[in-house]
Amino acid sequence: MSDTLSLWLAIAGIALTGVVTRCSFLLLSERLRLSVTLERALRYAPAAALSAIVLPILVIDHQGGVALGWSNHEWVASAVAALVMWRQRSMAWSMGVGLAVLTALRLLG
Amino acid sequence: MVTGIAMANSPLQLHQAMGYSLLVYAGTAQLAALPLLVAGAPIWVSVMTALMVNLRFIIYSAGLRPSFRSQSLGMRYRIGYLISDMAFIMYMREEARWRHEPLRAYYFLGLAFANYVIWHIASLIGLVGGALIPETWGLAFAGTLALVTILVPMLVSPAAITACVVAGVTAVCLRGLPYKLGLIAAIVSGVLAAVLVEKRAVTHV
Repeated sequence: MSDTLSLWLAIAGIALTGVVTRCSFLLLSERLRLSVTLERALRYAPAAALSAIVLPILVIDHQGGVALGWSNHEWVASAVAALVMWRQRSMAWSMGVGLAVLTALRLLG
Repeated sequence: MVTGIAMANSPLQLHQAMGYSLLVYAGTAQLAALPLLVAGAPIWVSVMTALMVNLRFIIYSAGLRPSFRSQSLGMRYRIGYLISDMAFIMYMREEARWRHEPLRAYYFLGLAFANYVIWHIASLIGLVGGALIPETWGLAFAGTLALVTILVPMLVSPAAITACVVAGVTAVCLRGLPYKLGLIAAIVSGVLAAVLVEKRAVTHV
């Protein structure tokens, strides 16, 4: 299968997840209800997924090892960005500071 | 816009990125699946990851149902299609006032469609603008940073923090597994850990 075709298939599949989740309970029978446990699971899935995607990108170096020191510029920059987000609740500020820290570390290092 | 900038700085071609954005209309899921698409991960892994991020829409869908139960199937589909974080939050803020209004479906559709149009315009601006900015500015990192900034406000309870820590650490530990199976295992264990933590908190009150 060509790379382009599999890319478009993946995009179609991702698009479908959006439509199915959005329409789910609006279209389903009234008899179906969201149980408390299931609602909890659904509520925490996005945080789990984002963390599982982001953390390996940030902490794994080119040799495949875990790097948590100052020499890992992207790790330091995103830790600062997370702190700014926590304090300011502004995505623009947080990303701006994160990118600035990354650039500064690259120029210094 | 951030989604657009991140996609402009990925190896996706312009028409692919545009199609991705127009078809999917879910910025967080797009950003989360982007590194997987770029790395050529198996299709089902990218789709599963996007599904996990989009699961919150099921809660929104269930939340909106009481308001729109008398609408036709087609109308409910249109309402569902346009659900977004912003539209849901804005509508639910006024839900008590609108609950018995006959025109509430049009109120929601207007609100949600405005969000839809603005989001797509911003995404295209990011996509075209991001492509014009030189690579040396380090914008390739913007997508990852955006995911960090989306994750932080989610960490409002011990259970949410547990989900984040368990999923993240598991994903790092299991990175060697083939077909990105470690990623799926990490998400599942993060969710299970969070549910257990919350159950415990509820029974101890």
